Amino acid sequence: MNKNILTIGIDVGSNFVKTVLVNYSGNPEVLDKHTEKIRKRNPSVVSEDMIVSMLEKNNLRYEDIAYLASTGEGDLVKRKRGHFYGMTTHARGANFFAGDTKTVVDMGALYVRAVKISENSRVLDYKMTGQCASGSGQFLENISRYLGLSIEEVGDISLQAHNPEISSGICAVLAETDVINMVSRGISTPNIIKGIHLSIAGRIIKLLSSLKGESPIMLTGGMALNKGMVQAIEEQLKETGKNFIIKTNPDAIYAGAIGAALWGGYRHIRLSEKTTTLSV
Amino acid sequence: MEPLNRIIEKSKHLSFDLNYTYSKQWKSADTSRILVGYLPIYFPREIVHAANGLAVGIFGVGDRKQIIRGDAYYQSYICHLPRGVIEMALDGSLDKFDGFVFPAICDCIRNLSGMFKLEQKGKFQRYFDYPQNFDLSIGGEFYIQEMKHIIGDMSGINRVQVTDENLIRSIRLFNINRRFIEEIYNIRQEYPWRLSAVETYYILRAGTSLPVEEHNEILKQVIDHLQNERGEPMDNIRIVVTGSFCEQPPIGLIKSIEMAGCYIVDDDFMLGSRLIQGNINSDTGNPLSALADAYINQSAFSSCYYDVGNPKGKRLVELVKKRNADGVIFSAASFCDPALLDRPQMQKECDIAGIPHINFQFHENTGQFKVIKEQAGTFSDSIKLWA
Repeated sequence: MNKNILTIGIDVGSNFVKTVLVNYSGNPEVLDKHTEKIRKRNPSVVSEDMIVSMLEKNNLRYEDIAYLASTGEGDLVKRKRGHFYGMTTHARGANFFAGDTKTVVDMGALYVRAVKISENSRVLDYKMTGQCASGSGQFLENISRYLGLSIEEVGDISLQAHNPEISSGICAVLAETDVINMVSRGISTPNIIKGIHLSIAGRIIKLLSSLKGESPIMLTGGMALNKGMVQAIEEQLKETGKNFIIKTNPDAIYAGAIGAALWGGYRHIRLSEKTTTLSV
Repeated sequence: MEPLNRIIEKSKHLSFDLNYTYSKQWKSADTSRILVGYLPIYFPREIVHAANGLAVGIFGVGDRKQIIRGDAYYQSYICHLPRGVIEMALDGSLDKFDGFVFPAICDCIRNLSGMFKLEQKGKFQRYFDYPQNFDLSIGGEFYIQEMKHIIGDMSGINRVQVTDENLIRSIRLFNINRRFIEEIYNIRQEYPWRLSAVETYYILRAGTSLPVEEHNEILKQVIDHLQNERGEPMDNIRIVVTGSFCEQPPIGLIKSIEMAGCYIVDDDFMLGSRLIQGNINSDTGNPLSALADAYINQSAFSSCYYDVGNPKGKRLVELVKKRNADGVIFSAASFCDPALLDRPQMQKECDIAGIPHINFQFHENTGQFKVIKEQAGTFSDSIKLWA
């Protein structure tokens, strides 16, 4: 019997499903992680397959997992013990990356969310982008596809820009039209990409100022891995005169899944305590 | 025994058949049968049953019918339910109905009864008032007179006399119905994962368009099924939903609350079927008086009912304790004056008792639940992690 408290966190996003295996005993530790693009498949099936393969890879059975927690579109995960809301899990994930985090910026495929958190990861306040997709990772992915780039390339290409051309930050349709115009005007790809990054960063800065976000700020979600995006946020923040510390983590895309797994461990212990108290 | 999934599917179909096909078929089998439509919340269906009739719940159209003419009858600041009901009346969906009862809920429903009268829908249209005086010799007598008006309306159509014997038989059948429903809620309190709130809703709502004998058979089978494990327990919070007693919440809303990590262990969605708590006295020579007595002394609480001496807020707190719930979701239809006016007082009682709560509003045809899911999700997390 495994004495460790093993938990799995699964974060079902609109583009990717992320799973992590965490050992919650003592100092929590991420034992395994995996990301899978959904690609027009049934997210429920993708999620179940990922759980099965993670268990197999680590020689575990479902019963060995103390708590399987979902987040994101968690209702698509059939086998689970509990579900936590996205903000709650990103807050915990960010706190796991850096214990002094005061504000989390979750940059996902569909929207960006700025969340103010307490030192024990409690959500204090939040602001998120509105209906328009122009501030989202999906939009960035679409644009990179139009320009013949993979999403993994855009960060480095953006860093090569010298004279970025800002696109519309209000509407994805207008922004896409802007990009078509830029291409026909001969604007270089790095300058186009950087312009888009700056435009998204502008929206994030607005979120942060309306939230009255505090430093340090932890960037989470898929877009946090994009160096060009991070640089654009830092540049925009500098322009506002605020001396904010921006942090990222190589596992930023797993922040939600890690948060879910950690909260799952916490709940497992609380529920066990309740059961023990009741049986006494 | 029919498989549970098939019962649920059948109940879902019956719940949202806005042509009331099954009820109309039931009527067509015998010329002395009558159909009486009733609006939410509660109406003593026993008197219709005893008159060889079927009381059919008319609980709005949800998101299943486009409102075209209904909007011309009500101002924009009126809730959605009466628009859908008048739409059904005007498009012929209710044509086979013999009469309509409009229990006293609010001004909108009172006005709806007038509209049905002007449009000459059915052979009778009766506004059914409730006693505000809880002395049996005053309020009870008034209630008996209200029931007698409807009994007179019905016998004028099918010439069936409502005898004491028939009425007592009907009371006994509805007692079984209420007992079975309560049993389902009790099982769900213990094992909420065995039957979801949406499934429970379908099963209860189906009973408002079926003869009580058939509904009792369904309920009996559901209870038998629930003795066995079904589904898996989740680490969810347990909540009571209140405020949705008249205009019914969209199914998507109930699902969203559940998917956000909440077990709904009690609610007032189909309150009319559960309003009377416990059995109505059927060992009596005066069954009408027994019905009146039950209304006055055995009713659950609701914003539509006068509650002197037994305040709703305190009763809500008692319900939360009885169901061992972690919190309350106040979910009221937009522009529902009774629910929204009662809310602050009920919230205050929750605050005093230390019961966490959130609130939101809906229309029966609301299609977007993202914000509601967000609210319910954070509510669930806050209780699970911080309470």
